[in-house]
Amino acid sequence: MRPSRLKEDLALLLRNPYGRLGLAILVALVVAAVIGPYLTPYDIWQYGICRPFEPPSTQRPFGCDEIGRDLLTLFLYGGRISLLVGFLAALLSTLLGAVAGLVSGYLGGLVDSVIMRVVDALLALPGLVLMIIFAAILGPSLFNVILVISVLSWPPVARVVRSQVVSLKEYPHVEAAKAFGAGATRIIFKHIAPATMPVVLANMVLQISNAIIAEAALSFLGLGDPRIPSWGGILRFAFRMGAMSAGYWWYVVPPGTGILLAVLSVTFISYALDEIVNPKLRRF
Amino acid sequence: MVALSLPRYAVRRALETLISFFILVSIAFFLFRVMPGDPTAFLLESPRIHPGVRVLLRQRLGLDRPLYEQFFIYLGNLVTGELGYSLYYGRPVTELIFGRRLLNTLALVGSSTATAIAVGLLLALYSVRKYRSKSESAVTVFSLVTYSIPTFWLGMLFIMAFSVRLGLFPVGGTITAVKVHKDLLELAADYLWHMALPFTVLTLIQIGYNYLIVRNAMLSILQEDFVMVARAKGLPEGSVIRRHVFRAALPPFATIVGLQLAGIFTGAVMTETVFSWEGLGRLMYEAVSTRDYPLLQGIFLVILAAFLAANYVVDLLYAYLDPRVRYR
Repeated sequence: MRPSRLKEDLALLLRNPYGRLGLAILVALVVAAVIGPYLTPYDIWQYGICRPFEPPSTQRPFGCDEIGRDLLTLFLYGGRISLLVGFLAALLSTLLGAVAGLVSGYLGGLVDSVIMRVVDALLALPGLVLMIIFAAILGPSLFNVILVISVLSWPPVARVVRSQVVSLKEYPHVEAAKAFGAGATRIIFKHIAPATMPVVLANMVLQISNAIIAEAALSFLGLGDPRIPSWGGILRFAFRMGAMSAGYWWYVVPPGTGILLAVLSVTFISYALDEIVNPKLRRF
Repeated sequence: MVALSLPRYAVRRALETLISFFILVSIAFFLFRVMPGDPTAFLLESPRIHPGVRVLLRQRLGLDRPLYEQFFIYLGNLVTGELGYSLYYGRPVTELIFGRRLLNTLALVGSSTATAIAVGLLLALYSVRKYRSKSESAVTVFSLVTYSIPTFWLGMLFIMAFSVRLGLFPVGGTITAVKVHKDLLELAADYLWHMALPFTVLTLIQIGYNYLIVRNAMLSILQEDFVMVARAKGLPEGSVIRRHVFRAALPPFATIVGLQLAGIFTGAVMTETVFSWEGLGRLMYEAVSTRDYPLLQGIFLVILAAFLAANYVVDLLYAYLDPRVRYR
């Protein structure tokens, strides 16, 4: 994609109210997660800072957990994990899907059939359920969570990219490259891949929100990294400590709001992109 | 290119489905057999148990045989429906899966899916008529929020608000444990009372998706020529949307509902876990927490079979409705 086009798209995104709101929330969350932990006076291991389950106060606006840890500190560190896993897993799965789609679409034949069978099989199954089973077998760790999410979420990307490649490979510039004797790898990555970028990027946005939700669910079920809890991990503690029955809302509301805002901002951006790319929704 | 007849298409898709099933089942075998070591590994941790016990146990379980032989035994057991014993419950896995729990999950998933489809369609109809109005934006934002909200968190909020604070509904469970029910009617009432919150959560998270799909489909169809003709005939706008646009948006939606089943089941796992609803999803959470691998594997295989079968039926239905898919 030409850089001027990217700038134009960003301008269009900013003109759309959903796009503007989504970008604003996402930037705010990322900034909070990146610099937030440097601003709090505590780290996540410091307990006994306050009474167990101390309600929010001006001094500690998010209150405390069962061993007297500052929940604001946990929230900021948790956001780091949730967003990091979300972006990394989405990046990996998009990359996997794009490569699978490119290879499958360009080579065709047996390779194509095999890859598409795997895609069909994975799409027919409940993704998160597979992730839960795989994560349970591999054991809880940050690396495994990212691995499981990215290995099981690439099929939709592969399918979309493949359908693009099938028509792109008939284009004159590809035929010309072939006539000059370019190899398959060069043609795929130099002449076809760049043209699929817009579709790949649009899909990556969806992958981010899926990955954030998947990470939250896995951590909630106790399959995330036990050392640094993500937002989903904090909610697991809250659930197991009976925060709901005791009415400790400050333990439950902020981490969930974090997840919701992160997913919502990405969903808004993807919704706005849809309105921009799909002019049928813009007219009328 | 020639179109396959419907029976031939059915056979071809059945073969493809069986191949997919075989591939996934093999992956499951290696995943469960090879990854976590073997089920007798825990004996090594106890110094009081004679090492010979482990050798004997490995023989009893057939773990001393070559891997390919184990694989064929596994396939044989699968064909005869033998899924082994749960480590935690000590009962056959098939008995745990095919019983009360399956029915509870079907009741929860079935009722909420049906409701979410109805509400989603109605909201889409409303929003297309009021396109670009304040109320349409409100509905769209509402659906984007319900689409983005983590299922288990929504459940936790509901429990905090409606069960704990207001005391309207039970905190969890399927029926009141200690209560003796006088008759079937009272039992049913108790059951529904427990189902109310999980049902609402599972319905809410599905509405957004249904609404957005149908709404966008209808907005695209509004640009088609036949809609212009309907308008030119002088039909009132409401009738154009209901009788022409809405009708045309339904068939693609039907297949999407079929494909969405996988996502609904995922939602059920989270909802059942939070509300302690005695279903398959909750059973899966228990299997994960207790590292009950035979049970986990059994659930995995049953889910594989169920979803591949559902996908097959949806494909056939689609091929029947739209013969173009049979050209390959």
